[in-house]
Amino acid sequence: MTKQSVYLDYAATTPVDPAVAAAMRECLELDGNFANPSSSHAFGQEARRRVEEARAQIAARVSAPPGTISFTSGATESDNLAIQGAMLAQRDHGRHLITSLTEHKAVLDMAAAMEKQGYQVTYLACDSEGLIAPEQVEKAIKTDTTLVSIMHVNNETGVVQDIAAIGAICRSRDVLLHVDAAQSIGKVPVPLDEWTVDIVSLTAHKVYGPKGIGALYVRPGTRLAPLLHGGAQEGGDRAGTLATHQIVGMGRAYELADTEHEARELAELRDRLWTGLSAIDGVRLNGHPTQCSPHVLNVAFPGIDGESLRLGIAEIAVSAGAACNSAAPEASHVLSALGLSDALAGSSQRFSVGRFTEPADIDYAVERVTAEVERLRQLAGAAPAWCTN
Amino acid sequence: MDYSLEVQRRFHSPDNIGEYAPEAPGIVTGEAEDRTLNVWVRIQAQVDGTVIRSVRYQVFGCPHTVAAAGWVAATLPGRASDALRELDMHELREILDAPVEKLGRLLVLEDALQACWQAHVEHENGQKGS
Repeated sequence: MTKQSVYLDYAATTPVDPAVAAAMRECLELDGNFANPSSSHAFGQEARRRVEEARAQIAARVSAPPGTISFTSGATESDNLAIQGAMLAQRDHGRHLITSLTEHKAVLDMAAAMEKQGYQVTYLACDSEGLIAPEQVEKAIKTDTTLVSIMHVNNETGVVQDIAAIGAICRSRDVLLHVDAAQSIGKVPVPLDEWTVDIVSLTAHKVYGPKGIGALYVRPGTRLAPLLHGGAQEGGDRAGTLATHQIVGMGRAYELADTEHEARELAELRDRLWTGLSAIDGVRLNGHPTQCSPHVLNVAFPGIDGESLRLGIAEIAVSAGAACNSAAPEASHVLSALGLSDALAGSSQRFSVGRFTEPADIDYAVERVTAEVERLRQLAGAAPAWCTN
Repeated sequence: MDYSLEVQRRFHSPDNIGEYAPEAPGIVTGEAEDRTLNVWVRIQAQVDGTVIRSVRYQVFGCPHTVAAAGWVAATLPGRASDALRELDMHELREILDAPVEKLGRLLVLEDALQACWQAHVEHENGQKGS
């Protein structure tokens, strides 16, 4: 098979859909909707109309009223605003946060920052397939718990948590629930009209929208202390001039994200990939085999150094299951939470498929990965057991 | 991560991998590992008197470690056996243009070479004693 470039890192970011780029261009130049949406003149009001149209598109994708959506710079800011904003707003009621060990760093680092401010944090462990039992949340809730933060789709393994059940528990205990749904849109339904959640982080660039724009769903009546000060935009939740072109791009991206249709196609690609890779001796799937998003496949290749595998298949874009640039390679906190050894976590690769992935891309990746794993195992020869366990 | 051409060449096209047949004469073996760094290296040298005739290796680790082992296996043949204990990993890091955080992995290779040297010394002493 001839050498080609294959992008299988859609969970890291997606290309901007051409239709999204076209919508964004309409907001950048003199004859477009470039004006400040907060201005009262006609130019500004037309830009405002585009912003509100985008807000409605995003709200529709998650089955929420448009007025519950506020714009941010991305999911990291959304997570920070959700956690710090909710906890500061409720600090007179309690100072205990519950989250999980498998959250994105945007949540974990914010939680650590809250600990430094004197708040208490409980980190829930997951099972060996990455699932958090809703009962764990219930047991962890204390009288001074004010917020639970659990992600919907895990960014490394694709494991999907039971947000409906966790939400019901939080509501029954009068505790706010924040959900990071950055990986969900277009792959797994986010039915906010069915879930009892209070705050949800969203982003554009995982769903063929631009980088640098995200949103936060805030259930009416939920109070957040703002992170940014300097204007009354977004109802005071988030100061700063609204980035019309980014917002319009996000709105169009969410409008295009046909979850039901796309999820089916992604699942076929993912299954094709796993069928091919599972023929390699000893490989194991990291995460739950069925309670998972259709776009992510995280695989451990025992006896292989992950960095070497990535260089060996350098024409194929995949992500590490572990960071390996440091002197002592730090195992992925997510895979460690699943119970993988450092060697297994270090061997793991995250493959993620997307809208522009073709079956031929999958077949090429399977062939190349299979050959490279065999080559690296020959290099390792009689390596001791710890390299493979 | 960026990889130098030297690393890429030795990683993608390694020579002298594997091991010698057990009955091959003059073989000394050194092995080292660091589990915290996910590195394991086995070096075998065929030493004839005081001259290294050939080297083979097996390696589990990152591309820089693989390339470093390959460089050693290509460079040592023809040199005096003392070279097993004299290779400078700081110099090798510069040759490979490896980032400084990779030095720890190269030092595992140095440990394997030192073990190889030790095995050679013990072999020589055994020969003299018999």
